[in-house]
Amino acid sequence: MAREGARPERARSRRAGALRYFLAQGWQGFTRNGLMSLAAVVITMVTLLALGGALVVAGAVGHVARYVEQQVQVVVYLRDGLAPAAVETVRARLGRLPGVTGLEYVSKDEALARFQQSLGGHAELRDLLSRNPLPASFVVTVDRPDRLRGIAADASHLPQVEDVSYSAQTVQRLLAVTRAVRLFGAALGGALALVALVIIASTIRVTVFARRAEIEVMRLVGATAWFIRWPFIVEGAITGACGAAAAVLLVLAAYALVVHGAQGTLPFLPLPAPEQVALDVSWKLVVWGIVLGVAGSLLAVRRYLHV
Amino acid sequence: MPLETGGDRGAGGVEQRGGAPAAAGGVADQVRRAAPAFPMVEFDRVTKAYPTGVVALRDVTLRIEPQEFVFVVGPTGTGKSTLLKLIYREEAPTSGRVLVRGQDVGRMPIRQVPFLRRQLGVVFQDFRLLPRKTARENVAFALEVTGTPPALVDGRVREVLDVVGLAARADALPGELSAGEQQRVSIARALVHRPPLLLADEPTGNLDPDTSWEIVQLLSQINRAGTTVVVTTHDKTIVDILRRRVIAIDGGAVVRDEQRGLYAGGA
Repeated sequence: MAREGARPERARSRRAGALRYFLAQGWQGFTRNGLMSLAAVVITMVTLLALGGALVVAGAVGHVARYVEQQVQVVVYLRDGLAPAAVETVRARLGRLPGVTGLEYVSKDEALARFQQSLGGHAELRDLLSRNPLPASFVVTVDRPDRLRGIAADASHLPQVEDVSYSAQTVQRLLAVTRAVRLFGAALGGALALVALVIIASTIRVTVFARRAEIEVMRLVGATAWFIRWPFIVEGAITGACGAAAAVLLVLAAYALVVHGAQGTLPFLPLPAPEQVALDVSWKLVVWGIVLGVAGSLLAVRRYLHV
Repeated sequence: MPLETGGDRGAGGVEQRGGAPAAAGGVADQVRRAAPAFPMVEFDRVTKAYPTGVVALRDVTLRIEPQEFVFVVGPTGTGKSTLLKLIYREEAPTSGRVLVRGQDVGRMPIRQVPFLRRQLGVVFQDFRLLPRKTARENVAFALEVTGTPPALVDGRVREVLDVVGLAARADALPGELSAGEQQRVSIARALVHRPPLLLADEPTGNLDPDTSWEIVQLLSQINRAGTTVVVTTHDKTIVDILRRRVIAIDGGAVVRDEQRGLYAGGA
Protein backbone atom coordinates (compact mmCIF):
# COMPACT_ATOMS: atom_id res chain seq x y z
CA MET A 1 0.00 0.00 0.00
CA ALA A 2 1.18 3.48 -0.74
CA ARG A 3 2.03 5.18 2.53
CA GLU A 4 3.14 8.73 2.61
CA GLY A 5 5.66 10.49 4.84
CA ALA A 6 8.10 7.64 5.35
CA ARG A 7 10.74 10.05 6.54
CA PRO A 8 11.82 9.24 10.11
CA GLU A 9 10.68 12.46 11.80
CA ARG A 10 7.26 12.03 10.21
CA ALA A 11 7.04 8.46 11.40
CA ARG A 12 8.06 9.53 14.90
CA SER A 13 5.54 12.31 14.96
CA ARG A 14 2.84 9.93 13.70
CA ARG A 15 3.64 7.43 16.44
CA ALA A 16 3.68 10.13 19.10
CA GLY A 17 0.34 11.41 17.90
CA ALA A 18 -1.18 7.95 17.98
CA LEU A 19 0.25 7.25 21.44
CA ARG A 20 -1.23 10.49 22.81
CA TYR A 21 -4.55 9.53 21.29
CA PHE A 22 -4.52 6.03 22.82
CA LEU A 23 -3.59 7.30 26.27
CA ALA A 24 -6.13 10.13 26.23
CA GLN A 25 -8.94 7.89 25.00
CA GLY A 26 -8.02 5.11 27.40
CA TRP A 27 -7.99 7.47 30.38
CA GLN A 28 -11.28 9.02 29.26
CA GLY A 29 -12.91 5.60 29.03
CA PHE A 30 -11.63 4.71 32.50
CA THR A 31 -12.87 7.89 34.16
CA ARG A 32 -16.20 8.06 32.33
CA ASN A 33 -17.14 4.57 33.50
CA GLY A 34 -17.06 5.77 37.10
CA LEU A 35 -18.49 3.11 39.40
CA MET A 36 -18.02 0.34 36.84
CA SER A 37 -14.32 1.14 36.69
CA LEU A 38 -14.18 1.25 40.47
CA ALA A 39 -15.78 -2.19 40.70
CA ALA A 40 -13.28 -3.52 38.17
CA VAL A 41 -10.39 -2.00 40.15
CA VAL A 42 -11.68 -3.47 43.40
CA ILE A 43 -12.11 -7.00 42.05
CA THR A 44 -8.66 -6.79 40.48
CA MET A 45 -7.33 -5.67 43.85
CA VAL A 46 -9.02 -8.57 45.68
CA THR A 47 -7.61 -11.03 43.15
CA LEU A 48 -4.14 -9.63 43.55
CA LEU A 49 -4.49 -9.57 47.35
CA ALA A 50 -4.99 -13.33 47.26
CA LEU A 51 -2.02 -13.76 44.94
CA GLY A 52 0.09 -11.24 46.82
CA GLY A 53 -0.76 -12.68 50.23
CA ALA A 54 0.19 -16.15 49.08
CA LEU A 55 3.42 -14.85 47.55
CA VAL A 56 4.41 -13.06 50.75
CA VAL A 57 3.54 -15.92 53.11
CA ALA A 58 5.21 -18.51 50.89
CA GLY A 59 8.19 -16.20 50.53
CA ALA A 60 8.54 -15.73 54.29
CA VAL A 61 8.20 -19.44 55.07
CA GLY A 62 10.67 -20.25 52.33
CA HIS A 63 13.05 -17.70 53.76
CA VAL A 64 12.84 -19.33 57.18
CA ALA A 65 13.33 -22.75 55.57
CA ARG A 66 16.45 -21.62 53.76
CA TYR A 67 17.79 -20.10 56.97
CA VAL A 68 17.21 -23.34 58.84
CA GLU A 69 18.70 -25.36 56.02
CA GLN A 70 21.98 -23.49 56.30
CA GLN A 71 22.31 -24.64 59.90
CA VAL A 72 24.28 -27.83 59.24
CA GLN A 73 23.97 -28.77 62.86
CA VAL A 74 22.67 -31.65 64.88
CA VAL A 75 21.62 -30.88 68.42
CA VAL A 76 22.19 -33.87 70.70
CA TYR A 77 20.22 -33.48 73.93
CA LEU A 78 21.67 -35.29 76.94
CA ARG A 79 19.81 -37.05 79.72
CA ASP A 80 19.54 -35.05 82.91
CA GLY A 81 22.01 -35.67 85.71
CA LEU A 82 24.93 -37.14 83.74
CA ALA A 83 28.26 -37.19 85.47
CA PRO A 84 30.98 -35.01 83.90
CA ALA A 85 32.82 -38.20 82.86
CA ALA A 86 29.78 -39.43 80.96
CA VAL A 87 29.56 -36.09 79.18
CA GLU A 88 33.18 -36.47 78.16
CA THR A 89 32.46 -39.99 76.84
CA VAL A 90 29.68 -38.59 74.64
CA ARG A 91 31.98 -35.79 73.44
CA ALA A 92 34.63 -38.34 72.45
CA ARG A 93 32.12 -40.61 70.64
CA LEU A 94 30.56 -37.73 68.75
CA GLY A 95 33.94 -36.33 67.81
CA ARG A 96 34.88 -39.59 66.09
CA LEU A 97 31.85 -39.61 63.78
CA PRO A 98 32.72 -38.91 60.11
CA GLY A 99 32.03 -35.36 58.89
CA VAL A 100 31.87 -33.72 62.30
CA THR A 101 33.78 -30.44 62.20
CA GLY A 102 32.80 -28.87 65.50
CA LEU A 103 31.41 -29.73 68.91
CA GLU A 104 30.03 -27.26 71.37
CA TYR A 105 28.80 -28.18 74.82
CA VAL A 106 25.80 -26.22 76.08
CA SER A 107 25.14 -26.73 79.75
CA LYS A 108 21.67 -26.56 81.29
CA ASP A 109 22.37 -23.07 82.66
CA GLU A 110 23.67 -21.84 79.37
CA ALA A 111 20.66 -23.28 77.49
CA LEU A 112 18.33 -21.37 79.76
CA ALA A 113 20.32 -18.18 79.31
CA ARG A 114 20.25 -18.52 75.52
CA PHE A 115 16.56 -19.23 75.48
CA GLN A 116 15.90 -16.18 77.60
CA GLN A 117 18.05 -14.06 75.32
CA SER A 118 16.16 -15.28 72.24
CA LEU A 119 12.92 -14.15 73.84
CA GLY A 120 14.33 -10.66 74.13
CA GLY A 121 15.10 -10.74 77.83
CA HIS A 122 11.65 -9.65 78.87
CA ALA A 123 11.25 -11.97 81.79
CA GLU A 124 13.58 -13.50 84.28
CA LEU A 125 12.81 -17.17 83.63
CA ARG A 126 14.93 -18.21 86.56
CA ASP A 127 12.47 -16.46 88.82
CA LEU A 128 9.43 -18.05 87.20
CA LEU A 129 10.66 -21.64 87.13
CA SER A 130 11.43 -23.67 90.23
CA ARG A 131 13.92 -25.78 88.28
CA ASN A 132 15.57 -25.55 84.87
CA PRO A 133 13.59 -27.68 82.35
CA LEU A 134 16.12 -27.40 79.54
CA PRO A 135 18.54 -30.26 78.91
CA ALA A 136 22.26 -29.91 78.38
CA SER A 137 23.28 -30.56 74.81
CA PHE A 138 26.05 -30.87 72.27
CA VAL A 139 25.70 -28.74 69.13
CA VAL A 140 27.44 -30.84 66.48
CA THR A 141 28.50 -28.96 63.36
CA VAL A 142 28.71 -31.09 60.23
CA ASP A 143 30.61 -30.46 56.99
CA ARG A 144 27.70 -31.31 54.61
CA PRO A 145 23.89 -31.23 55.03
CA ASP A 146 23.52 -34.76 53.58
CA ARG A 147 25.45 -36.21 56.56
CA LEU A 148 22.93 -34.81 59.04
CA ARG A 149 20.60 -37.80 58.96
CA GLY A 150 23.37 -40.40 59.50
CA ILE A 151 24.99 -38.49 62.33
CA ALA A 152 21.64 -37.92 64.01
CA ALA A 153 20.91 -41.67 63.82
CA ASP A 154 24.32 -42.63 65.25
CA ALA A 155 24.05 -40.11 68.07
CA SER A 156 20.57 -41.26 69.06
CA HIS A 157 21.94 -44.79 69.73
CA LEU A 158 24.19 -43.52 72.54
CA PRO A 159 22.72 -44.43 75.93
CA GLN A 160 23.44 -40.99 77.42
CA VAL A 161 21.43 -39.29 74.72
CA GLU A 162 17.84 -38.26 75.36
CA ASP A 163 16.91 -36.90 71.93
CA VAL A 164 18.38 -35.64 68.69
CA SER A 165 17.10 -32.97 66.39
CA TYR A 166 18.47 -31.63 63.18
CA SER A 167 17.40 -28.95 60.70
CA ALA A 168 16.37 -31.18 57.77
CA GLN A 169 13.18 -32.27 59.51
CA THR A 170 12.22 -28.69 60.10
CA VAL A 171 13.16 -27.76 56.54
CA GLN A 172 10.97 -30.52 55.13
CA ARG A 173 8.02 -29.35 57.17
CA LEU A 174 8.53 -25.72 56.21
CA LEU A 175 8.88 -26.52 52.52
CA ALA A 176 5.64 -28.50 52.68
CA VAL A 177 3.96 -25.45 54.17
CA THR A 178 5.43 -23.25 51.44
CA ARG A 179 4.07 -25.56 48.73
CA ALA A 180 0.65 -25.66 50.30
CA VAL A 181 0.48 -21.89 50.61
CA ARG A 182 1.58 -21.44 46.97
CA LEU A 183 -0.97 -23.94 45.75
CA PHE A 184 -3.78 -22.41 47.78
CA GLY A 185 -2.84 -18.92 46.63
CA ALA A 186 -2.70 -19.99 42.98
CA ALA A 187 -6.09 -21.74 43.18
CA LEU A 188 -7.82 -18.87 44.96
CA GLY A 189 -6.07 -16.30 42.77
CA GLY A 190 -6.99 -18.22 39.63
CA ALA A 191 -10.67 -18.42 40.56
CA LEU A 192 -10.75 -14.73 41.46
CA ALA A 193 -8.85 -13.88 38.27
CA LEU A 194 -11.69 -15.39 36.21
CA VAL A 195 -14.21 -13.24 38.05
CA ALA A 196 -12.00 -10.19 37.61
CA LEU A 197 -11.64 -10.91 33.91
CA VAL A 198 -15.40 -11.02 33.39
CA ILE A 199 -15.95 -7.81 35.35
CA ILE A 200 -13.17 -5.93 33.56
CA ALA A 201 -14.51 -7.13 30.20
CA SER A 202 -18.06 -5.98 31.01
CA THR A 203 -16.77 -2.62 32.17
CA ILE A 204 -14.85 -2.06 28.98
CA ARG A 205 -17.77 -3.29 26.93
CA VAL A 206 -19.66 -0.30 28.32
CA THR A 207 -17.01 1.95 26.79
CA VAL A 208 -17.13 0.00 23.54
CA PHE A 209 -20.88 0.45 23.45
CA ALA A 210 -20.66 4.16 24.22
CA ARG A 211 -18.13 4.49 21.40
CA ARG A 212 -19.86 2.32 18.82
CA ALA A 213 -20.57 5.26 16.52
CA GLU A 214 -16.94 6.28 16.74
CA ILE A 215 -15.76 2.73 16.08
CA GLU A 216 -18.06 2.57 13.06
CA VAL A 217 -16.56 5.76 11.64
CA MET A 218 -13.04 4.56 12.40
CA ARG A 219 -13.60 1.37 10.45
CA LEU A 220 -15.15 3.33 7.62
CA VAL A 221 -12.27 5.75 7.19
CA GLY A 222 -9.65 3.01 7.34
CA ALA A 223 -8.41 2.76 10.93
CA THR A 224 -6.70 -0.57 11.51
CA ALA A 225 -8.13 -3.08 13.96
CA TRP A 226 -5.17 -2.52 16.27
CA PHE A 227 -5.67 1.22 16.22
CA ILE A 228 -9.28 0.66 17.28
CA ARG A 229 -8.23 -1.79 20.00
CA TRP A 230 -5.48 0.24 21.64
CA PRO A 231 -7.58 2.76 23.60
CA PHE A 232 -9.48 -0.13 25.17
CA ILE A 233 -6.27 -1.95 25.96
CA VAL A 234 -5.00 1.20 27.64
CA GLU A 235 -8.23 1.40 29.65
CA GLY A 236 -7.80 -2.22 30.72
CA ALA A 237 -4.16 -1.65 31.65
CA ILE A 238 -5.10 1.40 33.73
CA THR A 239 -7.77 -0.65 35.55
CA GLY A 240 -5.30 -3.47 36.20
CA ALA A 241 -2.52 -1.14 37.32
CA CYS A 242 -4.83 0.70 39.76
CA GLY A 243 -6.01 -2.60 41.24
CA ALA A 244 -2.42 -3.76 41.52
CA ALA A 245 -1.28 -0.54 43.18
CA ALA A 246 -4.01 -0.86 45.81
CA ALA A 247 -3.18 -4.53 46.38
CA VAL A 248 0.55 -3.80 46.71
CA LEU A 249 -0.09 -1.11 49.32
CA LEU A 250 -2.38 -3.36 51.36
CA VAL A 251 -0.14 -6.43 51.18
CA LEU A 252 2.97 -4.46 52.13
CA ALA A 253 1.24 -2.61 54.95
CA ALA A 254 -0.07 -5.90 56.33
CA TYR A 255 3.35 -7.52 56.10
CA ALA A 256 5.05 -4.56 57.77
CA LEU A 257 2.56 -4.89 60.65
CA VAL A 258 3.25 -8.62 60.96
CA VAL A 259 7.01 -8.08 60.99
CA HIS A 260 6.66 -5.31 63.54
CA GLY A 261 4.55 -7.56 65.74
CA ALA A 262 6.94 -10.49 65.35
CA GLN A 263 9.89 -8.42 66.46
CA GLY A 264 8.16 -7.98 69.80
CA THR A 265 7.05 -11.56 70.42
CA LEU A 266 9.14 -13.86 68.21
CA PRO A 267 12.42 -12.02 67.65
CA PHE A 268 14.32 -15.23 66.76
CA LEU A 269 12.14 -15.78 63.67
CA PRO A 270 14.29 -14.89 60.64
CA LEU A 271 11.60 -13.09 58.56
CA PRO A 272 12.63 -11.34 55.34
CA ALA A 273 12.86 -7.55 55.59
CA PRO A 274 9.77 -5.59 54.42
CA GLU A 275 11.87 -3.68 51.86
CA GLN A 276 13.00 -6.96 50.33
CA VAL A 277 9.42 -8.23 50.16
CA ALA A 278 8.28 -4.96 48.56
CA LEU A 279 10.96 -5.37 45.91
CA ASP A 280 10.05 -9.02 45.21
CA VAL A 281 6.27 -8.76 45.23
CA SER A 282 5.33 -5.30 43.88
CA TRP A 283 6.40 -5.78 40.29
CA LYS A 284 4.82 -9.24 40.12
CA LEU A 285 1.46 -7.90 41.24
CA VAL A 286 1.66 -4.94 38.86
CA VAL A 287 2.51 -7.24 35.94
CA TRP A 288 -0.37 -9.58 36.84
CA GLY A 289 -2.75 -6.65 37.22
CA ILE A 290 -1.88 -5.30 33.80
CA VAL A 291 -2.10 -8.77 32.23
CA LEU A 292 -5.58 -9.19 33.72
CA GLY A 293 -6.70 -5.75 32.53
CA VAL A 294 -5.39 -6.20 29.01
CA ALA A 295 -6.88 -9.70 28.73
CA GLY A 296 -10.24 -8.34 29.89
CA SER A 297 -10.20 -5.55 27.32
CA LEU A 298 -9.25 -7.89 24.48
CA LEU A 299 -12.18 -10.06 25.50
CA ALA A 300 -14.43 -6.99 25.38
CA VAL A 301 -13.46 -5.77 21.90
CA ARG A 302 -13.12 -9.19 20.26
CA ARG A 303 -16.60 -9.15 18.74
CA TYR A 304 -16.24 -5.71 17.24
CA LEU A 305 -13.25 -6.41 15.10
CA HIS A 306 -14.65 -8.81 12.58
CA VAL A 307 -15.03 -6.57 9.59
CA MET B 1 -20.60 31.62 -3.23
CA PRO B 2 -19.01 28.70 -1.49
CA LEU B 3 -19.94 26.36 -4.31
CA GLU B 4 -18.06 28.39 -6.91
CA THR B 5 -14.97 28.63 -4.72
CA GLY B 6 -15.08 24.89 -4.19
CA GLY B 7 -15.45 24.32 -7.91
CA ASP B 8 -12.37 26.33 -8.81
CA ARG B 9 -10.20 24.19 -6.61
CA GLY B 10 -11.91 20.84 -6.52
CA ALA B 11 -10.33 17.69 -5.17
CA GLY B 12 -7.51 17.89 -7.74
CA GLY B 13 -6.62 21.40 -6.61
CA VAL B 14 -6.32 20.12 -3.09
CA GLU B 15 -3.65 17.70 -4.11
CA GLN B 16 -1.55 20.34 -5.84
CA ARG B 17 -1.65 22.61 -2.82
CA GLY B 18 -1.04 19.72 -0.45
CA GLY B 19 1.70 21.22 1.76
CA ALA B 20 4.62 18.86 1.22
CA PRO B 21 4.75 17.96 -2.48
CA ALA B 22 6.02 14.74 -4.08
CA ALA B 23 6.53 12.58 -0.96
CA ALA B 24 3.16 13.56 0.50
CA GLY B 25 1.37 13.69 -2.82
CA GLY B 26 -1.46 11.57 -1.48
CA VAL B 27 -2.55 8.02 -2.00
CA ALA B 28 -4.74 9.12 -4.88
CA ASP B 29 -1.83 10.47 -6.91
CA GLN B 30 0.34 7.47 -6.25
CA VAL B 31 -2.40 5.02 -7.13
CA ARG B 32 -3.18 6.95 -10.29
CA ARG B 33 0.41 6.84 -11.39
CA ALA B 34 0.96 3.27 -10.38
CA ALA B 35 -2.08 1.73 -12.04
CA PRO B 36 -3.30 3.70 -15.03
CA ALA B 37 -4.50 0.65 -16.91
CA PHE B 38 -7.10 -0.64 -14.45
CA PRO B 39 -10.72 0.40 -14.40
CA MET B 40 -11.69 2.14 -11.15
CA VAL B 41 -14.27 -0.51 -10.30
CA GLU B 42 -14.99 -3.80 -11.99
CA PHE B 43 -17.74 -6.32 -11.13
CA ASP B 44 -17.31 -9.69 -12.77
CA ARG B 45 -20.41 -11.90 -12.51
CA VAL B 46 -20.99 -10.88 -8.92
CA THR B 47 -23.70 -12.50 -6.83
CA LYS B 48 -24.32 -11.55 -3.23
CA ALA B 49 -26.62 -13.61 -1.06
CA TYR B 50 -26.98 -12.71 2.61
CA PRO B 51 -27.07 -15.43 5.28
CA THR B 52 -30.78 -14.64 5.70
CA GLY B 53 -31.31 -16.03 2.19
CA VAL B 54 -31.94 -12.66 0.57
CA VAL B 55 -30.16 -12.43 -2.77
CA ALA B 56 -29.21 -8.76 -3.05
CA LEU B 57 -27.25 -8.93 -6.31
CA ARG B 58 -27.49 -11.50 -9.11
CA ASP B 59 -24.75 -12.03 -11.65
CA VAL B 60 -23.78 -8.36 -11.92
CA THR B 61 -21.06 -7.44 -14.39
CA LEU B 62 -20.04 -3.80 -14.86
CA ARG B 63 -17.08 -1.46 -15.22
CA ILE B 64 -16.61 2.05 -13.94
CA GLU B 65 -13.69 3.94 -15.48
CA PRO B 66 -11.53 6.52 -13.69
CA GLN B 67 -13.11 10.00 -13.49
CA GLU B 68 -16.60 8.75 -14.35
CA PHE B 69 -19.71 10.02 -12.59
CA VAL B 70 -22.26 7.24 -12.17
CA PHE B 71 -25.78 7.16 -10.77
CA VAL B 72 -26.98 3.81 -9.50
CA VAL B 73 -30.77 3.95 -9.47
CA GLY B 74 -33.62 1.66 -8.59
CA PRO B 75 -36.35 1.16 -6.02
CA THR B 76 -35.48 0.79 -2.32
CA GLY B 77 -34.15 -2.65 -1.40
CA THR B 78 -32.94 -3.63 -4.86
CA GLY B 79 -29.27 -4.01 -3.97
CA LYS B 80 -27.92 -0.50 -4.58
CA SER B 81 -26.37 -0.27 -1.12
CA THR B 82 -25.02 -3.80 -1.40
CA LEU B 83 -23.27 -2.77 -4.60
CA LEU B 84 -21.44 -0.01 -2.73
CA LYS B 85 -20.76 -2.23 0.29
CA LEU B 86 -19.00 -4.70 -1.97
CA ILE B 87 -16.78 -1.91 -3.28
CA TYR B 88 -15.67 -0.70 0.16
CA ARG B 89 -15.57 -4.28 1.38
CA GLU B 90 -18.20 -4.04 4.07
CA GLU B 91 -19.46 -7.21 2.41
CA ALA B 92 -17.71 -9.86 0.34
CA PRO B 93 -19.33 -11.33 -2.77
CA THR B 94 -20.86 -14.81 -2.57
CA SER B 95 -19.48 -15.51 -6.03
CA GLY B 96 -17.73 -13.52 -8.73
CA ARG B 97 -15.04 -10.88 -8.34
CA VAL B 98 -15.08 -7.25 -7.25
CA LEU B 99 -11.99 -5.33 -8.33
CA VAL B 100 -11.06 -1.83 -7.20
CA ARG B 101 -8.15 -0.48 -9.27
CA GLY B 102 -7.25 -4.05 -10.07
CA GLN B 103 -7.28 -5.25 -6.45
CA ASP B 104 -9.59 -8.19 -5.79
CA VAL B 105 -11.26 -6.73 -2.72
CA GLY B 106 -13.50 -9.74 -2.13
CA ARG B 107 -10.51 -11.97 -1.51
CA MET B 108 -8.47 -9.31 0.24
CA PRO B 109 -7.24 -10.32 3.74
CA ILE B 110 -9.21 -8.54 6.46
CA ARG B 111 -6.14 -6.72 7.74
CA GLN B 112 -5.71 -4.99 4.38
CA VAL B 113 -9.25 -3.64 4.31
CA PRO B 114 -8.35 -0.46 6.27
CA PHE B 115 -5.82 0.45 3.58
CA LEU B 116 -8.42 -0.07 0.85
CA ARG B 117 -10.75 2.28 2.71
CA ARG B 118 -8.11 5.00 2.78
CA GLN B 119 -8.25 4.93 -1.03
CA LEU B 120 -11.95 5.65 -1.19
CA GLY B 121 -14.42 7.92 0.54
CA VAL B 122 -17.92 6.91 1.61
CA VAL B 123 -20.88 9.21 2.27
CA PHE B 124 -24.21 8.11 3.75
CA GLN B 125 -27.79 9.30 3.90
CA ASP B 126 -27.51 9.72 7.70
CA PHE B 127 -24.13 11.55 7.56
CA ARG B 128 -22.64 9.48 10.43
CA LEU B 129 -20.99 12.44 12.09
CA LEU B 130 -19.87 12.27 15.72
CA PRO B 131 -22.23 14.63 17.59
CA ARG B 132 -19.72 15.81 20.20
CA LYS B 133 -17.07 16.80 17.70
CA THR B 134 -17.09 20.00 15.68
CA ALA B 135 -17.12 19.92 11.89
CA ARG B 136 -13.36 20.41 11.90
CA GLU B 137 -12.84 17.65 14.48
CA ASN B 138 -15.09 15.24 12.61
CA VAL B 139 -12.98 15.65 9.49
CA ALA B 140 -9.69 15.60 11.43
CA PHE B 141 -10.81 12.36 13.12
CA ALA B 142 -10.51 10.48 9.82
CA LEU B 143 -6.86 11.52 9.60
CA GLU B 144 -6.02 11.06 13.27
CA VAL B 145 -7.28 7.48 13.47
CA THR B 146 -5.33 6.49 10.38
CA GLY B 147 -2.07 7.66 11.89
CA THR B 148 -1.57 10.88 9.94
CA PRO B 149 1.22 13.00 11.46
CA PRO B 150 -0.47 15.68 13.60
CA ALA B 151 1.48 18.42 11.81
CA LEU B 152 -0.34 17.62 8.55
CA VAL B 153 -3.86 17.38 9.93
CA ASP B 154 -4.86 21.04 10.28
CA GLY B 155 -3.86 22.03 6.78
CA ARG B 156 -5.61 19.10 5.13
CA VAL B 157 -8.80 19.65 7.12
CA ARG B 158 -8.89 23.33 6.17
CA GLU B 159 -8.46 22.42 2.50
CA VAL B 160 -11.35 19.97 2.34
CA LEU B 161 -13.67 22.18 4.38
CA ASP B 162 -12.86 24.86 1.83
CA VAL B 163 -13.72 22.49 -1.02
CA VAL B 164 -17.15 21.74 0.43
CA GLY B 165 -17.72 25.42 1.25
CA LEU B 166 -17.85 25.06 5.02
CA ALA B 167 -14.65 26.84 6.07
CA ALA B 168 -16.70 29.44 7.95
CA ARG B 169 -18.61 26.85 10.01
CA ALA B 170 -15.62 24.70 10.96
CA ASP B 171 -16.17 25.13 14.69
CA ALA B 172 -19.88 24.30 14.70
CA LEU B 173 -21.15 21.05 16.16
CA PRO B 174 -23.25 18.84 13.85
CA GLY B 175 -26.35 19.74 15.88
CA GLU B 176 -25.81 23.41 15.02
CA LEU B 177 -25.58 22.73 11.28
CA SER B 178 -28.37 22.27 8.75
CA ALA B 179 -28.82 18.84 7.16
CA GLY B 180 -27.15 20.06 3.97
CA GLU B 181 -24.20 21.44 5.93
CA GLN B 182 -23.87 18.17 7.82
CA GLN B 183 -23.73 16.29 4.53
CA ARG B 184 -20.99 18.68 3.38
CA VAL B 185 -18.99 17.83 6.50
CA SER B 186 -19.38 14.14 5.78
CA ILE B 187 -18.25 14.71 2.19
CA ALA B 188 -15.24 16.64 3.50
CA ARG B 189 -14.43 13.71 5.76
CA ALA B 190 -14.72 11.31 2.82
CA LEU B 191 -12.33 13.47 0.78
CA VAL B 192 -9.71 14.11 3.43
CA HIS B 193 -7.65 11.06 2.41
CA ARG B 194 -7.67 12.43 -1.17
CA PRO B 195 -9.28 9.28 -2.52
CA PRO B 196 -9.55 8.61 -6.26
CA LEU B 197 -13.02 7.16 -5.66
CA LEU B 198 -16.00 8.63 -3.78
CA LEU B 199 -19.03 6.47 -2.97
CA ALA B 200 -22.28 8.12 -1.89
CA ASP B 201 -25.16 5.98 -0.65
CA GLU B 202 -28.40 7.98 -1.00
CA PRO B 203 -26.58 11.23 -0.09
CA THR B 204 -29.70 13.32 -0.64
CA GLY B 205 -32.15 10.94 1.02
CA ASN B 206 -32.61 13.21 4.06
CA LEU B 207 -32.48 16.53 2.24
CA ASP B 208 -35.06 18.88 0.73
CA PRO B 209 -34.96 19.32 -3.08
CA ASP B 210 -32.94 22.57 -3.08
CA THR B 211 -30.35 21.20 -0.69
CA SER B 212 -30.24 17.92 -2.60
CA TRP B 213 -29.44 19.83 -5.73
CA GLU B 214 -26.59 21.71 -4.00
CA ILE B 215 -25.10 18.48 -2.72
CA VAL B 216 -25.27 16.86 -6.16
CA GLN B 217 -23.63 19.95 -7.67
CA LEU B 218 -20.85 19.62 -5.14
CA LEU B 219 -20.37 15.93 -6.00
CA SER B 220 -20.33 16.91 -9.64
CA GLN B 221 -17.60 19.49 -9.01
CA ILE B 222 -15.54 16.97 -7.09
CA ASN B 223 -15.91 14.65 -10.07
CA ARG B 224 -14.79 17.34 -12.51
CA ALA B 225 -11.64 17.80 -10.44
CA GLY B 226 -10.73 14.18 -11.21
CA THR B 227 -12.41 11.98 -8.58
CA THR B 228 -14.54 9.04 -9.69
CA VAL B 229 -17.99 9.40 -8.09
CA VAL B 230 -20.63 6.68 -7.67
CA VAL B 231 -23.98 7.84 -6.26
CA THR B 232 -26.96 5.66 -5.42
CA THR B 233 -30.24 7.50 -5.47
CA HIS B 234 -33.93 7.25 -6.14
CA ASP B 235 -34.25 10.98 -6.78
CA LYS B 236 -35.61 11.11 -10.31
CA THR B 237 -35.33 14.90 -10.75
CA ILE B 238 -31.63 15.03 -10.05
CA VAL B 239 -30.78 12.13 -12.33
CA ASP B 240 -32.86 13.54 -15.15
CA ILE B 241 -31.34 17.02 -14.93
CA LEU B 242 -27.74 15.88 -14.69
CA ARG B 243 -27.83 13.36 -17.57
CA ARG B 244 -24.83 11.33 -16.44
CA ARG B 245 -24.23 7.60 -16.73
CA VAL B 246 -27.12 5.67 -15.15
CA ILE B 247 -26.96 2.07 -13.99
CA ALA B 248 -30.45 0.85 -13.12
CA ILE B 249 -30.82 -2.11 -10.79
CA ASP B 250 -33.99 -4.06 -10.20
CA GLY B 251 -34.32 -7.26 -8.24
CA GLY B 252 -30.55 -7.44 -7.81
CA ALA B 253 -29.79 -7.37 -11.54
CA VAL B 254 -28.55 -4.59 -13.81
CA VAL B 255 -31.52 -3.85 -16.06
CA ARG B 256 -30.11 -0.81 -17.85
CA ASP B 257 -26.73 0.93 -18.20
CA GLU B 258 -26.54 4.02 -20.39
CA GLN B 259 -24.39 7.10 -20.81
CA ARG B 260 -26.26 10.42 -20.37
CA GLY B 261 -29.22 8.40 -19.05
CA LEU B 262 -32.52 9.25 -17.44
CA TYR B 263 -33.97 7.84 -14.24
CA ALA B 264 -36.71 5.93 -16.02
CA GLY B 265 -34.85 5.11 -19.24
CA GLY B 266 -36.15 5.49 -22.80
CA ALA B 267 -34.05 8.63 -23.52
